[in-house]
Amino acid sequence: MGQINIKGVIWLFISGICFVVSIFFPWWALRLVAPQYKEGLYIWVYPYKMDGEIDIINSLNHYIGMKEFSEASFPELDYLPYIIGGIAFITIIIALIRNRTALMIWTGVVLVLAMLGVYDIYRWLRTFGTNLDPSAPINIDPFIPPIVGTNQLANFETFSFFSYGAVLCTIAIIILLIVLWKGKERHV
Amino acid sequence: MKKNLSNQSAIIMVIAAVILVGTIFVPWWGMKFYAPQYPEGLDIIVHPTGLEGDIDVVNGLNHYIGMTPFSNDTFPELPYIRYIVIAISVLIVVGAVLRNKKFLYGLIGIFAVSGAVGIYDMHRWLRKFGTELDPNAPIELEPFVPPMIGENTIANFVTNSYFTYGAFMLAAVLILLVIPLWKDRAK
Amino acid sequence: MNTKRIMSGIIGVLAGLLVAMIVFTDFNQTETVSSADNKTNAEKVYVAPGEQDDYYMMASGGHSGQLFVYGLPSMRLIRQVPVFSPDPATGYGFDKKSKEMLNGYKWGDFHHPAISETEGEYDGRALFASDVGNNRAAYVDLETFHTTDILEIPNISGPHCAAFVTPNSEYFFLPTRFSVPLGDEYVGLDDFSEEYKGVMSAVKPDFENNSLEIAYQVMLPPWSYDLSDAGKGQSNGWGFLSTYNTEEATTTLEINASQNDRDYIVMFNWEQISKEVEEGNYEEVNGVKMFDPLEHPGSVYLVPAPKSPHGVDVTPDGDHFIASGKLSPTTTMFSVEKALEAIENEDFQGEAQGLPILTYESVVDKEVEVGLGPLHTQFDDKGNAYTTLFIDSQVVKWDLESGKVIDKEEVSYSPGHLTAVEGDTAAPGGDWLVSLNKIAKDHYLSVGPSHPESMDLIDISGETIEVVGSAPSQPEPHYAQIINADKINTTEVYDKDEDRENAVWDQADTRIERDGDEVHVYGIAMRSRFIFDADSDRPDTVTVKEGDTVHFHITNTDRDEDITHGMGINGYNENFEIQPGETKTLTIEADKSGSYPIYCTNFCSALHQEMTGYLLVEPK
Repeated sequence: MGQINIKGVIWLFISGICFVVSIFFPWWALRLVAPQYKEGLYIWVYPYKMDGEIDIINSLNHYIGMKEFSEASFPELDYLPYIIGGIAFITIIIALIRNRTALMIWTGVVLVLAMLGVYDIYRWLRTFGTNLDPSAPINIDPFIPPIVGTNQLANFETFSFFSYGAVLCTIAIIILLIVLWKGKERHV
Repeated sequence: MKKNLSNQSAIIMVIAAVILVGTIFVPWWGMKFYAPQYPEGLDIIVHPTGLEGDIDVVNGLNHYIGMTPFSNDTFPELPYIRYIVIAISVLIVVGAVLRNKKFLYGLIGIFAVSGAVGIYDMHRWLRKFGTELDPNAPIELEPFVPPMIGENTIANFVTNSYFTYGAFMLAAVLILLVIPLWKDRAK
Repeated sequence: MNTKRIMSGIIGVLAGLLVAMIVFTDFNQTETVSSADNKTNAEKVYVAPGEQDDYYMMASGGHSGQLFVYGLPSMRLIRQVPVFSPDPATGYGFDKKSKEMLNGYKWGDFHHPAISETEGEYDGRALFASDVGNNRAAYVDLETFHTTDILEIPNISGPHCAAFVTPNSEYFFLPTRFSVPLGDEYVGLDDFSEEYKGVMSAVKPDFENNSLEIAYQVMLPPWSYDLSDAGKGQSNGWGFLSTYNTEEATTTLEINASQNDRDYIVMFNWEQISKEVEEGNYEEVNGVKMFDPLEHPGSVYLVPAPKSPHGVDVTPDGDHFIASGKLSPTTTMFSVEKALEAIENEDFQGEAQGLPILTYESVVDKEVEVGLGPLHTQFDDKGNAYTTLFIDSQVVKWDLESGKVIDKEEVSYSPGHLTAVEGDTAAPGGDWLVSLNKIAKDHYLSVGPSHPESMDLIDISGETIEVVGSAPSQPEPHYAQIINADKINTTEVYDKDEDRENAVWDQADTRIERDGDEVHVYGIAMRSRFIFDADSDRPDTVTVKEGDTVHFHITNTDRDEDITHGMGINGYNENFEIQPGETKTLTIEADKSGSYPIYCTNFCSALHQEMTGYLLVEPK
């Protein structure tokens, strides 16, 4: 398959850096808007934590019997930063060994991991939206909030979207693909 | 006594007497006090039988400038006025019965003198209240004599004095008394 | 040839412009007016729903003991903040801390608010309040608009002449309206002139702890101290007090305190007094450092002022002070420079109670014929003064430089204080003024004999002044201060302080503990339930025995703006409020047995009606 050229190596480094940096930015977010919350209530999901008006959202969600979410209810948050760090590390190793075969395999692995990540979010959304306490004061039909897009829930309109971290990761993956496609050393 | 006044004149005199008695039941003179916080005005209304209006409020305000509070008791003449009025009315009726011109002259004389004394008495009171101010009062004002008719300004108050129904009726009585003299003048 | 061309070119352009002017000029247009000038009175004061006012007006609540917070220019009453008297709605005076602060007092008479200052301008950190009724001073934190400290002050009686704050909030002073014997002693009124004293307190604010402490007191003659202001600029370091009853009358003051044609403005050098006190020049009276200006002369002087002056106000530059003789038709402007010179030269016309009186003619700048019953003066940014005329029911605008009256405006009726935008500071605003009228009379829909007070909003941005709005007020704002809204930075939700005493943040930590006959409930109020003991079958029920003392330590864990919970105990005459993120303690004596519902009293959520529980008191 051949070696990765020097430009490709540099790009792989950038890709690795993108992965690392993404750890410190939120990957995904949910914004809830209601008449009395015009400014919106946010849940920001980082690889290692959750941020935003979690307490307020929990206290509102208990009316529909949704489970409380906190960092403790998402065990992934404990090891996600290591996984992403590991991805960055292996990307850089591949840049150093300049092996295109390894890169090809690695790109495949990363794509699979990314899909798993998206599936994980979906799984959680489904868990929270469908496992509602039947004795809750307000009965609503089970629902699955979309990963991206808007949804209406009682008096709340929700907007879900991928954020900076996810964008950085996407860039990193695109770089992997471009290097795989273009980064072949011309003379062996 | 010579009856030298006509029947008509006698009737007019009786009417005058009735009107005169009527003045007992209506106010003669009034004073209205306006200030920014009293846009509707405070009234002192003088009846021949007594004072009416916002006497207590006006007294309450006047003590700041050291004016003596006024009430029915401060005017000893008030209890007598109604009797004087009734007495003159009776005399007018007597005059109508007698139909004597000289008697009528006398009546008009008594009536005019009483009126003049009355006006002088009012002026005396106004001067007394406006000039005999307590020197210890919180607000010191130059002594003043409120006019019997028309506007005056004391501190933040604008006062408006005026004669009213009773006074007009008294004037009518005077005119009615004069009419027989003119009507039955010697031809 | 060339010149000709250029000339014809220029002529052509000019001709074109002329045509354009004729064609495009709208000859119907009379004048161009800016949109601000174009506003009707209604538009000037209209603040649309959801929009916010430009200014806060902090008005004292008089004998209600409360602080009234208004928005300007809409004149909307935003909040009543309890300060000196209990407030059942918020539970002020019910929960442990505020109950201790109020210390059993049932009422207060809050006269004059003073917003803290930095370099002579409002800084929006705190507001100081004075209580004429029960001799107290209070600290209101303007981050939360909660009263955080109340100081009971000995030796003084009726701090009407307060509170005025020094330019950098070093102190605020509370001189008193009534004189009393020192040390709470009994002395007959025949010995008034010798044994009674008008004591002034210097109070030091602590901005770290939002609290107050008495720094020292100054013993002054037994006169009535009415109003006050702090010097600034060249008068920085001085304070000015107006006095009446220098006659030292002991009865029927209405007459007997109105005899002297001149009373005094007291000028005192607080910087010097503070230094002297630091050097130990004081005596302890009732545990307070008492400074006697007769024993340590050189810091207190008297300036003759027209009969029974009411307000004394220092101009924004600090160069003059203005005394309004409430029983004379003039307001008198004094020169600080001349006063300091007279002090320097010992230019005295006599002395009263041992204090030197500066020669009137040496100190006076001018007497201004403003009208009848001048009381208080405020300032704008253009060198004008505004004075209320109580008797004339007017506000008069006059020029400080010339003393010329510029305009008069009728107000309804009998104005006491007035307040302009930051109008008593070194940098007044100059767009609004509010006249705080004592008589509302026929101005609003009638509610029978007990009338509201009336407040007239006056536009002072132009050459002439005009009343453009009016609002009733509860009894009874005496003074108010208007502060730019940008200077107030509030907190809407209390911090989640894990170390706070008695706070419970985790539902699992809620519990009921018994110690003898003392029961401590560590509970949570949240949308829409009470949790007193999460492990109990009925987490919102507290069961005690008759005779127990029950302490409810309740934390509102809804740290969400405006989610306030209340807790009322039906039949037990108790209620209090817990703000988002706040922890409060309510202590009750369970002295009657029975089943008493507990419920949330401040509507919090869709299921507020369900936010209930029980206090069960088992009979002995």
